[in-house]
Amino acid sequence: MSTGTATVRVELFGTPQLLTGQRQVEVPGRTLHEIAGVLAQEFPVLAGPVIDPATGWLNGGYIFVVDGRFTRDASYPVGPESSVLLVSAQAGGAS
Amino acid sequence: MNAVHGRYLHIDLSAGTATAYPLPEAVFARLIGGVGLASYLLDRFCPPGADPLGPENPLIFASSPFIGTGITTASKIALTAKSPQTGMIGDSLSSSYLALALKRTGYDALVITGQAPGWTVLAVDDGEIRLLPGSDLLGLDPAATADAVRAELGNSFRVAAIGVAGERGVRYASISNDGRLAGRTGPGAVMGSKRLKAIAVRGTQRLPAVADPRGVVRAARELAERSLGPDTAKYRELGTAANLAFFSRLGVLPTRNFQAGTFEAAEAISGERLFLEHRTDKHGCAACTIGCEHHYRTRDDGETVEVRLEYESLFALGSLCGVSDPNAVLRAAALCDRYGMDAISTGSTIAWAMECVERGVRLPGRPEEWPRFGDAEGLLRTIQAIGERRGLGDLLAEGSRRAAEIVGQGSVEWAMHVKGLELPGYDPRKLKAMALGFAVSTRGACHNRSSAYEVDFSDQLDPHAEALAWARAAARAEDRAAVLDSLTICKFLRHCFSDFFTEAAELFVRVTGLSMTAEELRLAGERINTVKKLFNIRQGWTRADDTLPPRLLSGEASGLTAAELDRLIQAYYRVRGWDEQGLVPPERLHELGLAELLRDDSRMMHGYAG
Ligand code: SF4
Repeated sequence: MSTGTATVRVELFGTPQLLTGQRQVEVPGRTLHEIAGVLAQEFPVLAGPVIDPATGWLNGGYIFVVDGRFTRDASYPVGPESSVLLVSAQAGGAS
Repeated sequence: MNAVHGRYLHIDLSAGTATAYPLPEAVFARLIGGVGLASYLLDRFCPPGADPLGPENPLIFASSPFIGTGITTASKIALTAKSPQTGMIGDSLSSSYLALALKRTGYDALVITGQAPGWTVLAVDDGEIRLLPGSDLLGLDPAATADAVRAELGNSFRVAAIGVAGERGVRYASISNDGRLAGRTGPGAVMGSKRLKAIAVRGTQRLPAVADPRGVVRAARELAERSLGPDTAKYRELGTAANLAFFSRLGVLPTRNFQAGTFEAAEAISGERLFLEHRTDKHGCAACTIGCEHHYRTRDDGETVEVRLEYESLFALGSLCGVSDPNAVLRAAALCDRYGMDAISTGSTIAWAMECVERGVRLPGRPEEWPRFGDAEGLLRTIQAIGERRGLGDLLAEGSRRAAEIVGQGSVEWAMHVKGLELPGYDPRKLKAMALGFAVSTRGACHNRSSAYEVDFSDQLDPHAEALAWARAAARAEDRAAVLDSLTICKFLRHCFSDFFTEAAELFVRVTGLSMTAEELRLAGERINTVKKLFNIRQGWTRADDTLPPRLLSGEASGLTAAELDRLIQAYYRVRGWDEQGLVPPERLHELGLAELLRDDSRMMHGYAG
């Protein structure tokens, strides 16, 4: 990532929030893949349970929501104005 | 075929008799078991126009081919009856040991009709039944009832019981077993109307063999391993309560009776906060490797309460009523369990009353006792009043639709139900697929039968996709839910399949020995949804029943309007092959292979023929 990459505010919900103890963090990145990679670096507790250290991308159970849109597209572009949430992909009840 | 007994037991409480009947293989081949089987039997037994609280309404418990096979989470029992809330199909699922006990009786289902002469405990001991006096148990909560019954009959019996709400005919009373609930659509009220305080089941028969024992063991082991991976992490680590803060952030958390989609105190009752400050431990249903049941304890100076809490109870007794004290929400959830009442309908009906108070609408009872948004004490007091059908509680025990019709004064506008069933914790104004799913669901406003939220909470569809694409996705989600409910495996396992219909069909073949492809299994889901729909049509369903509460169609907040919902519903009917009025044409029944299975002359029984 080049220097001067703008920071993006990422809100964490569920397990990512519990692991980091943060509801909101600011990380540099231009795509969701970059964001995920930086999150894993800055918060090593996320590497493994939430972000696969080998790929630097989200594990199956997680998804981003960018400006209200759910996406697991690693190349999805983000910028300083983006609203980015990192959440568990599942909802709903058992029965 | 393998893995089923091929028969059910019909118990007539009025006559005190039990009679075994065969279940044709075609029923399992076409409708699988579980909810599919229970819906089929309801269609056979429940006459049109039956009073849901009358003796002619059958209460049905059904097992499935997967129960007892070692497949993880497959310990669920399906219940059906005509719902006292909706007047349409009421189907519920409950987990755990009762399902295993029923399957060991040598029957695939129990059909209970009639009414006992006095309060009764029905003991089903393999194929033998006994009707035991139950009036000593009146007033006990479901857990205490089960303890008392097992103390009397022995711990080898598993017990389903109702609480005081079921005894007193609260229309959304639940049935409890093994700490789990069949909550929605009021099965506890049906059980109470039959004067059944408890049903105790002991099965000592061998479980029917599966077709490919080695294959099933191998597949079950693989599935169990996958069930411990990232796709179920949320349920294992935090439970469904984790939805609350996120839903509030998205603006889809029903707040103050759906007057808002964001709760300013969401953080105080968030799943994350509850986990850190109130969680005690975690449990699981029988035969489950996931174990999603998180228990929480109050942490204040009041009476200590420990209770299982799901997102649905949390939103309904929290944000929906404007209550931000987690201790009060935990106490409210514990009260619902103790009285034996569905927490969603309880919270939603109280939220309706709170809005009545806010708008100056007169309610029965003393004004100082009326509940108000944010009033935790009022919430707890009103739950007790409902459970005992006292004062205002007697009105609210009817549910929001009936209560609003009785009270009038414009309050039907804010009775938040579909077909009489109160909405769960998804504000559909921003969730297009869920809006459609709620509107057309045969059960009323139900996220679990529809599962269409999965479309909204994913990147499956472009937000601007055409109505037909939304309808196709919603119908497919509904079919998958019907298959899960009929196999019976837990919905929390659904993402552990990489290709659900293909892998589940392979599993079905290994278990039953019947042939089944992925597309045939999806079609079975469609068939099950069609059987439910046909039942509703016979009970008086009309096109006007497929809608949402007026508040959600004002176009505010999301732009969801009545015209847009209508377009989605018409597209859904087209996808289903129904006509514009939502009726199922005879040729569609033939295509689905249902015409023969649902022949009028094979409709049961005992006074009900066609
Ligand atoms: S995942 Fe939860 S609800 Fe599903 S079977 Fe397991 S413990 Fe029961």
